[in-house]
Amino acid sequence: MSRIRFENVSKRFGGVTAVDDLSLEIESGEFVSILGPSGCGKTTLLRMLAGLERPTGGTISIGETVVNELAPAQRNVAMVFQTYALYPHMTVAGNIEYPLRKRRVAKNERVRRVREAAAVLELEALLDRKPRELSGGQQQRVALGRALVRDPAVFLLDEPLSNLDAKLRTHMRAELIRLHRRIGRTMVYVTHDQLEAMTMSQRIAVLRDGRLQQFAPPRDIYARPGNDFVAGFIGTPSMNFLDGRLEGTGSGRTFRCGDVSLPVGMLPLADEMPEPDRRVRLGIRPEHIRIDAEGEAARVNLVEPTGHETILVFDYRGNELVARMDGDVDIESGDRVKLAFRADKLRLFAAADGRRLNDDSTP
Amino acid sequence: MPTIRAASASLRLRSLDARYGLLGALLIAPTVLVFCTVIVYPLVSAIYLGLFSIYTPTMEGEWVGLDNYRRLLASGEFWRSLANNLIWTAGTLTLQIVFGILVALMLHRNLAFRALARSLVLFPYFLSTVVAVLVWRWLFNDLYGVLNHLLLWAGIVDLPVDWLGSMPNAMISLIFVGAWKYFPFVVIAVLARLQAIPDELYEAASIDGAGAWARFTDVTLPQLRDVLIVVVLLRTIWDFKEFDLIFLLTGGGPIIGTQTLPLMVYKEAFALNQMGGASAAAVLMMLIMLLFMSLYLSRARD
Repeated sequence: MSRIRFENVSKRFGGVTAVDDLSLEIESGEFVSILGPSGCGKTTLLRMLAGLERPTGGTISIGETVVNELAPAQRNVAMVFQTYALYPHMTVAGNIEYPLRKRRVAKNERVRRVREAAAVLELEALLDRKPRELSGGQQQRVALGRALVRDPAVFLLDEPLSNLDAKLRTHMRAELIRLHRRIGRTMVYVTHDQLEAMTMSQRIAVLRDGRLQQFAPPRDIYARPGNDFVAGFIGTPSMNFLDGRLEGTGSGRTFRCGDVSLPVGMLPLADEMPEPDRRVRLGIRPEHIRIDAEGEAARVNLVEPTGHETILVFDYRGNELVARMDGDVDIESGDRVKLAFRADKLRLFAAADGRRLNDDSTP
Repeated sequence: MPTIRAASASLRLRSLDARYGLLGALLIAPTVLVFCTVIVYPLVSAIYLGLFSIYTPTMEGEWVGLDNYRRLLASGEFWRSLANNLIWTAGTLTLQIVFGILVALMLHRNLAFRALARSLVLFPYFLSTVVAVLVWRWLFNDLYGVLNHLLLWAGIVDLPVDWLGSMPNAMISLIFVGAWKYFPFVVIAVLARLQAIPDELYEAASIDGAGAWARFTDVTLPQLRDVLIVVVLLRTIWDFKEFDLIFLLTGGGPIIGTQTLPLMVYKEAFALNQMGGASAAAVLMMLIMLLFMSLYLSRARD
């Protein structure tokens, strides 16, 4: 009933293309994050959905209705802004009540719904305060309350947690997930923070330069990234990449890069690289590198203990590799060690267009 | 030993404090001096003069106590001037605020030639009052004024209208010229504030279902409230004690039809040569303003 569909949507500002021929379908009741670096077009996408920007091309529909020509108020969407955008002269109750008043909801019904929303967000004690008397987290909850009280078909959240401190952010993340479970409405959440996207979403749409890179559940985004951009963007520290080429086929397939030579014959590939030169990027996640007496020689350049884990930077035959190991690993900078890679976790991408070559069965 | 050292340290500190105190006093001394010469002295001497019956050319006269005040409060002219003053201030201020906000809203939008329009709007404010009033007197003139010419030509009136020589025309003309002269001040202040209103507030309101008018009343006006309080305060003070514009345009006439308190003070002092009565009227005017301002500020603070 409130499925959202973007069909070939584009948005250009003068000569700049913010969103480029993007198609995306969000299921009713789904929590979807739109994730990407700054300037990737994610906020523009959300603002087009809200009706604050008009798409240059394509159609946007909510439910069965094409909303391109509808004003924001007619779309049955509610939006939470990064800066909260609370009306400073109104009390908390006034802010939450405002959308109902503009929709001419009867007074006692308004009071009831404000009280209800305030109860869900634990704002009852603050109803008479002005926004400036509230902490960031409380203002955030009021902004959510103003969205919630309307019971809209779709919630749009534009980086709602980025102005909060780290601890509160973790708390509000959990609150939002709980809220979504409770009300079961479609939520579209824009963020540049992969942790928020990974922890909260049912599916993540990764954007880059206005183009959709991948739209998949968090685990797939991480384990089966659609291309080398998604692979490198998701995960901290990022995936290591070695640029080289493939030689041989089937079980004899080998990845070569300088004097690195790795057998990758056991990787099921969906795509055997028809290109004649077979230039590829090999991706290795930091947690898939381990120390192994049988492995390849490398030198430790940097040790960064964080407590529960240690980030190690190796020089592996002229390539820099970042690895994530146990917090108690006993290695010092300058040590010479032997490294092994989890062969089944290696990812191959075509160098030319970045597409993933591994097939979907890859664990 | 340690106590002695601590004591001498505190002594040194105190002398340092004293030196800073002395320096501070020296630094504010010029300001205090100027303040006393141009504000405290005239104020005190006006209150003092108000208690005498003084002949202006000689500045001599005798102590009459509160007689000047009694005479003023019993005279119809004082009350008429006060009423005129209130009508003029309320009328011109209202027009200034309304025009000022409207023009600021227009200039805030992306008009063509916005930069040019912004500088043109300031023109009346920068123009010398004497020049502006002379031009307006030509426009208003009942024999050869453009305004009457246009009205006659358009057939709106059959006879030339006496804009400045009859009532209530003179007061209305005055209020309009005052509004024209001073609305740019409101434009500058309001425009600066408009540009600081975050777009998200308008966007949030339009998603919440507010139309254009509701966005104006629910977002723009509340955001303008603080700046309007200051603008109204300043403009009230300035309009209340406006002298040159009224003096030059109507001279307080016809008879005393547009005579405000500042014009009455002037007349008492230099036409009737009664400096004592003029001082008393000036003191009363100040008290009235103080009363209005304290009422206004206590209301605005809530």
